[in-house]
Amino acid sequence: MDDFTWGMVQIVGVHTILGLSAYVILLTGQVSMAQAGFVAIGAYVAGMLTVLAEWHIIPAMVTGGLAASVLACIVGFPALRIRGLMLVVATIAFGEFVRLFWFNFDYRIAKGDIVVGPEGGEGFKQIRFFPENGWTTQDVAVFVWVVAAIILATLWWMDRSRAGKVLRAVGEDEMAAQSVGINLTVVKVAAFTAGGFIAGIAGAIYAHYTTHIEHLNFDILMATFAIAYPILGGLANVWGTLFAAFFIQVIVIEVLRDLGDVRNLMFGALIILVMNFLPHGLFSAKVVRKLKEWMGIGKMSDA
Amino acid sequence: MEFVDYLQAVTDGVMQGAYYALIGIGFTLIFGVMNKINLAYAAAAFGGAYASLGIAALIGSGDDFGLPPLLMFLASAVAAGLFAWIVYTICFRFTPDHYELATLMATVGAFFLIEEIAVHATDGEPMDFPEVLQGIIEDPMIEFSDAFAIRGDLLTIFLLALIAMAVLLLLLYRTKLGLATRAVAQQRTAAQLCGISVDRTNASTFIIAGVLGGLAGAMIGAAVGVLSPLLFVPLTVKGLIVTVIGGLGSIPGAIVAGLLVGGLENVFLALRGITERDMYVMLLLFLFLAFRPQGLFGKKVLRD
Amino acid sequence: MKHQIMFVAAAALAFAGTQSAAVSADREVHVAGFGAKSGVVRSFGVNTEAVMRAAAEKINNEGGIKLGDGTKGKVVVTFYDDRCKAEEGISVVRRIASGKAVVAIGPTCSNVAEPLFGVLQKRAGDASDTGLQFPIFTDTAIKGGLAKISEWAFRNVPNESQMYQSLFKWVKKENPGFKSVFGGVEEDFAHSRFTWYKVMETRAQEAGFKVLGRVKWLLNDTNFTTQVRQMKKAKADVIAISSHPFTLCGVLKEMKRQRVKYKQLIGLTSSSSLETLRGCSKQAKGIIIPTSFAPVTAAAKEAAAGAAKFNGSADLHSAAAWENMFILKGVIEKTGVMAKGDTVQADRRKIRDGLAALKSTGGLIGGIQRTKEGEAVKPYVYVHAQGKEWKILHDPRK
Repeated sequence: MDDFTWGMVQIVGVHTILGLSAYVILLTGQVSMAQAGFVAIGAYVAGMLTVLAEWHIIPAMVTGGLAASVLACIVGFPALRIRGLMLVVATIAFGEFVRLFWFNFDYRIAKGDIVVGPEGGEGFKQIRFFPENGWTTQDVAVFVWVVAAIILATLWWMDRSRAGKVLRAVGEDEMAAQSVGINLTVVKVAAFTAGGFIAGIAGAIYAHYTTHIEHLNFDILMATFAIAYPILGGLANVWGTLFAAFFIQVIVIEVLRDLGDVRNLMFGALIILVMNFLPHGLFSAKVVRKLKEWMGIGKMSDA
Repeated sequence: MEFVDYLQAVTDGVMQGAYYALIGIGFTLIFGVMNKINLAYAAAAFGGAYASLGIAALIGSGDDFGLPPLLMFLASAVAAGLFAWIVYTICFRFTPDHYELATLMATVGAFFLIEEIAVHATDGEPMDFPEVLQGIIEDPMIEFSDAFAIRGDLLTIFLLALIAMAVLLLLLYRTKLGLATRAVAQQRTAAQLCGISVDRTNASTFIIAGVLGGLAGAMIGAAVGVLSPLLFVPLTVKGLIVTVIGGLGSIPGAIVAGLLVGGLENVFLALRGITERDMYVMLLLFLFLAFRPQGLFGKKVLRD
Repeated sequence: MKHQIMFVAAAALAFAGTQSAAVSADREVHVAGFGAKSGVVRSFGVNTEAVMRAAAEKINNEGGIKLGDGTKGKVVVTFYDDRCKAEEGISVVRRIASGKAVVAIGPTCSNVAEPLFGVLQKRAGDASDTGLQFPIFTDTAIKGGLAKISEWAFRNVPNESQMYQSLFKWVKKENPGFKSVFGGVEEDFAHSRFTWYKVMETRAQEAGFKVLGRVKWLLNDTNFTTQVRQMKKAKADVIAISSHPFTLCGVLKEMKRQRVKYKQLIGLTSSSSLETLRGCSKQAKGIIIPTSFAPVTAAAKEAAAGAAKFNGSADLHSAAAWENMFILKGVIEKTGVMAKGDTVQADRRKIRDGLAALKSTGGLIGGIQRTKEGEAVKPYVYVHAQGKEWKILHDPRK
């Protein structure tokens, strides 16, 4: 495989992680449009740690994720009181608030003959941990997918355990869930915290594989993509999110790039079509069942 | 800055808040009857404004707009009403009632589609848009003193917006269509039992909201003097914030909240500068969510 | 994990499919272009593509490019839309680098160029740096000082620092009575912000102006009343605005409403395009902008006509793509690029070294100097808006 294909593997990996961060929260019936804000926190924190403090990418990434999760946890509590449209608006506002925070954030130090660090509206440049440490595109792709696989596996396992059933129960009917003794506060805040952590991880990788970040990267468009992957893929299981990230990034964005102008017009139209004909996603429970029947597998193995 | 400067900032802001209010009303109307969000709403509104430019270009030639500004407002309103109906048909009509995520995502798709059509039609370039009084008075300014003046065109837009709101309220509270709309908003099943067609009521609500949006789109074009797809996202966000601060489903709430956000935003700008202005608008929203989640005039929603 | 492997395999297949479509005869010189063809900056990509295709047509009509073994090769242009998104820009260049292209012209957005150059190898030949080894010759992305990020990055964009230095000096010389400057800056956009704080403000002071202050607004603002009021109060002789056409038009219209008095307006070089005239030709009347392109020479007129033929327009940004095509032709002929299937990587290195060795090149309105950092020092003229077109006000070389 060539450099370009490995590059695509990286992008699909990062966007899968981004989608999974929204997936966890969506399971509890909450739509979070704040994911881009959590991604920004992970990106800036991890970037500052590798560039200014010269940390290794792994501890920097985990710290970025933790920083984002702390904030997500704090957001989770007030989010308990509101739902539906109110939550969508509140999380949009929160995401924008975080973006504007980094727009106003200036912290630079001299390193050798250059000054490095985030510089407000100019962005944060030269986050070159990967190329400076000899990581090839392939190495980075493998790294991204090791991280993505750990998150996928954890969420998949959680989905099948009692925790997953609890999350889904809250998502389907809060009152019913509460009446069987589920603590809504714990469940919803935990989902937000986990979603924030995962988004922070995605941000840490994003900062390093683009080498330059600025506040405009973390706009509402990114937040929309985060919820688009699980909704388009379907909430039946984690594979839907993975499939949707692949579908959008590889098929719609990359393969259709050759169509030129038509591609962008098709993008919106495709989303509308999918939501009309497969409202529960490309990989909904129904589609999965049909696929299994068609492939002649009675009970799917652990794939 | 002196007191008069703040007064000036608030005055300008409140007048511009009129179009935040119109967009907020659109969101709130649709939410009221459908209990769902139409994220493509502001995009369709600007789509109307773009369409009015297209119509004017077809009629006119060279430097002149083919239509007087007020007819462009009308054209924009009609076109946006049509677009709103299309958005209803492709995003709401056939998506499941109980699974709001599908509808939400479909409206995101519609947003992208409308934005990209506008970009393709104009190469994304800023488009000259006539001022509301163009051809009548050039750049009117009502000057009270050196430090305080009111933009005549903005005042006209403000008054037009108030008239549009009054017409809407009359429509909702004095006509059968309005009665049906309010009935569906209050108790959908009961309305259905009384023989009201929910589908037709939904569609007409979208068209009414769309017409208001089209007016707002043309007003923004006229107030700034330029139209650009850059406006779609920020006006969507401001409109949503106004909807929540006003109280979901409350039209008077959206009006007051629109003017409030418009006025305060300019105060934040004067006090804290442009880079922090919107952070304080967000904080204002958070304050409402924390201390008055039902908004200014909304009723407490127990369950949805 | 089975699914992931399946997806990856499907991805690989999908790419193989798209890429084989472009296969044809082997003596072709593939030059890729990339930039935004969607969103609000769509006109950048449309114009660059039109200019590249026009230049390629001219080169091919004149017999093509002489290759290292004496045969002639045709230029083939492919253009990709990167939607002005950093991730997509990087992906597009990786895609281009995985194909047969020997060099790429682009991107149009500085916010794509900056991360993209960071992904390239910093120092050519540094085995410890795994960055991408592919020459990029930028025509549009203009934010100051980007090419030094990588030795594989070259730019042929105007040097704003120098242009505004001479513009402010000229304005002062012509109008000794002008004493003060007031600024307006689009604060959240990397390029316009950089140009105000690091270029216009200091250059105006050096030229003997007193900078009375500045007001700021955002890229997508709709309300400029407060800022323009401050601008009016300052009563400066010169108002310099560093912003792109959309807010430039919004601010100019508000300035007219509030009847702001000034003696001279100065604008950002990116605004010397058709966009500004389409948005607010009346209000922009008289604004002076330094630009590296104007149809003043026979060559420049030819480029403008070529762009129009391919449904684009040659402006200060896209005209550079024309120059780049001909500069690359010269470099390819001089360094003996072979343009064979098995020489792609060597050809790219030759082009990089060839570009790095250039001290000066030809240009549409005059000769261009090249710096060690891979940047250009281009000739420029001052234009001002008059009706529906930009007219030449002054040529500082004369």
